[in-house]
Amino acid sequence: MSRDVLFYIGRRLLQSLFVLWVIITILFFFFRLAPGSPVAAYIDTTFTAEQEASVMARFGLDKPLHMQYFIYVGNLLRGDLGDSFFYGDSVVGLISDVLPNTLYLTLTSLMIAYLAGVLGGIFLAAQRGKPVERGGIVFTLITRAAPEFWVGMILLAIFAFQLRWLPSSGTGGATTIYASEVEKLTSPEFWRHMLLPMTTLALYLHGLPLLLMRSNMLEVMDQDFITMGRLIGYGERRLMLQHAARNAMLPVITALALGVGYSIGGNVVIENVFGWPGIGRLLVRAVSSSDYPLAQGAFVIIAAIIVALNFIADVLYSLLDPRVGSSAAARAS
Amino acid sequence: MLAALCVLTGVALAQGGEPVPSVTVLSNVQAADPIEFETTRLLVENMRQLGLDVEHQAIPWEQQSELVWFNRGDWQMTAWRMVARPERMDPDEFVFNLFHSSTAENGYNFVGYINPEYDALAEAQRSETDPEARRQLVYDAQAIIAEDVPYVFVAHPQLPFVVREDVWDAETVVDAQGIGVKNFWTWIGLEPLGDETTIITNTSDVVQAVNPLYISGDADSRVTELIWDRLMRIGPDGLPQPWAAESVEYLDDVTVEVKLREGMMWHDGEPVTVEDVVFSFEATQSGESPMYQPFGSRIGSIEIMDESTVVFTLAEPWAAFEVASLSKVNLIPQHVWEPILTDLADVDENAEDFQEEIPIGSGPYKFVAWQQAESVILEANTDHWAAPAADGWVMRIIPNAESALGQIQTGELNFLTEWEGDAEVLAQTAEADANLGIYASADLGFRFYGFNTRLAPFDDVAMRRAVAHVMPRQAVVDNIFKGFAVPADSYVSLAIDYWHNPDLPQYEFDLETARQILLDAGYTYADDGTLLLPAD
Repeated sequence: MSRDVLFYIGRRLLQSLFVLWVIITILFFFFRLAPGSPVAAYIDTTFTAEQEASVMARFGLDKPLHMQYFIYVGNLLRGDLGDSFFYGDSVVGLISDVLPNTLYLTLTSLMIAYLAGVLGGIFLAAQRGKPVERGGIVFTLITRAAPEFWVGMILLAIFAFQLRWLPSSGTGGATTIYASEVEKLTSPEFWRHMLLPMTTLALYLHGLPLLLMRSNMLEVMDQDFITMGRLIGYGERRLMLQHAARNAMLPVITALALGVGYSIGGNVVIENVFGWPGIGRLLVRAVSSSDYPLAQGAFVIIAAIIVALNFIADVLYSLLDPRVGSSAAARAS
Repeated sequence: MLAALCVLTGVALAQGGEPVPSVTVLSNVQAADPIEFETTRLLVENMRQLGLDVEHQAIPWEQQSELVWFNRGDWQMTAWRMVARPERMDPDEFVFNLFHSSTAENGYNFVGYINPEYDALAEAQRSETDPEARRQLVYDAQAIIAEDVPYVFVAHPQLPFVVREDVWDAETVVDAQGIGVKNFWTWIGLEPLGDETTIITNTSDVVQAVNPLYISGDADSRVTELIWDRLMRIGPDGLPQPWAAESVEYLDDVTVEVKLREGMMWHDGEPVTVEDVVFSFEATQSGESPMYQPFGSRIGSIEIMDESTVVFTLAEPWAAFEVASLSKVNLIPQHVWEPILTDLADVDENAEDFQEEIPIGSGPYKFVAWQQAESVILEANTDHWAAPAADGWVMRIIPNAESALGQIQTGELNFLTEWEGDAEVLAQTAEADANLGIYASADLGFRFYGFNTRLAPFDDVAMRRAVAHVMPRQAVVDNIFKGFAVPADSYVSLAIDYWHNPDLPQYEFDLETARQILLDAGYTYADDGTLLLPAD
């Protein structure tokens, strides 16, 4: 590993930390500028002025804003995201309860969507100009444009309420308790419950890789090395799958990496339609009840994961392709 | 802002003939509360007919409550609602907290209603222990509010519930006065008809805590009242009855002897003792449970007489003691909570922040699991002296109303306890399916408009009465509530016959009457129909 590459990695690390600090600071002030007070969630007929003051003091809301900020950043550096105003529990605990559900749902949906998208894209490119291609594109555009809640409700109405093949809500039956994540993942009941939300999400997500793959394929198929292959006498199938598809897939993989980042924020709409206990619902509730610690904590964790993924991707690129590290470092300085 | 407004009105009054200051009416947004939004739109239109310059401002609940509650000089009129709770079967909480002058600055009298005559009645009913005499005081208090109109009452909503009558014996559904069928007595009484023996209910809100020392949301309270016993419970007739107490006897106005039922056990197998009872009431005054503090605050002392008898000595006569204290304070095990409260004494957090891993009570249901954003699962406590007929009770958290409707039809739910959608749709669905029974009964809760009586133009009672006359209650009940409500004329619900004053003025919907009230009070109309302040 050259000095240049090490220098580049160090630089990117500092940049990432700076970006995180900016995000944390913006989040902190952003939530406090928003209207609504966390104490409003506690209003009751039996509430007195002293009780209100004690609630404010307990949350530290009686201190000046800049003091609140320093306390918050100080706690963050120790890995303490604080306690939720609303639940009283630790933010880390609350998030770790639901983050796995979000990951199971979105990662499987993404996998299915990208697998189907890539294969569909190749297929449609091969059917260029035929009615099948036109039909396929129209179908894809419809699934891409249709609101997720609408698709979700239709699937619910058909498969859960009319045919009654699948359950409609939650990650298990009414009395089901999963003792561990492993037990959850190995339970057929869990997968039965996930089928409808997963299908809804995959239907929505598959449009992007499909259209991207199709247009890349068409572009690559026009390039010289493919023409060369044809001249050599390779079959069309071998050319498409072994030569064109490999090259056409690179931008799709970039899109997938971004998609993973976005999906960690959860899918509020789908979580609401299917009663899926994920991070999206937790976040919405936290924001609407001015639960600063929980909302900030969730955003900070999401931001940290995305920044970290970006950093890792950059490091991997620089290791795989020396041009990235040295030239980028040289250009930047 | 407040000062500026006062100056403005002062000037206007001095000159006379000036237009009445413009008015903003607050309500929740349409998506969150369509009923409140539509009612407000209708009322605002009618107020314009009176010649007022009115604007309807719809804002999210969090902002609305922030403004109304914490900025008492910055709003003029707002839509608001009170919800039903068993302890509100006693009129004291509403009579005192809503309108007593002591709660005007920081408490629930956010309309700023100040009337010494009312204060005297509110205080008197609080310590009057003769029910007949107390009823007259509560009647008088309602009459004063009806005269002075700090609120325009709209309706008591009837919440619809749906029961799967192929799963549960319809005969065992209990309709509690003022609360409806979603109540404690139904949960312990429901008899299964077949193999399905777990009550499966729904809520659209998240569960915040399962904590006997914390009053959190409505969904949470359904869970706590099943896990923890109280000395008394509000019965289906709306009156308190002995529960964990074998008997409750008044020795005099301020001395109450309570005999504890024998043989009760905590869910961890320890016996329930009189020491636990004393500890439970003392915990409310420990400073670690601010929300329960008012429910024990007027108890002077509690003395243990023998192993099943305690005597409460009240600091002063307290008419609502049985409802607001004995039926309210959860009995908690001293062996569990004493170490917790001791630890909490030294830190900023209090018992409201504390969540037991496995909550321990002595109630008819035992805690099994709470899965965040998904469900709370309880099982029947078969050792309880009033053990439930069902084997379990589940509350599923279902944020999507349409999905809840589908689930009661497929049987994934067997007791629909919350419905956020159109009541008419629910009624039609239930009628179309012979297995579904729909129940709706008048509620203790009510919806109303509160005037900020500190500010013009609603500091004038004539203006408030005029607005009361342009509130079309019956039309709102028929068209906006789709019939699932009864018109309201007081903050004491029609559902509690005993306390509701039947002779209150009705403020019939009539534009002409409203205009006449304003003209009689000296208001005049400009040529373009604008309402002008009295000239004096």
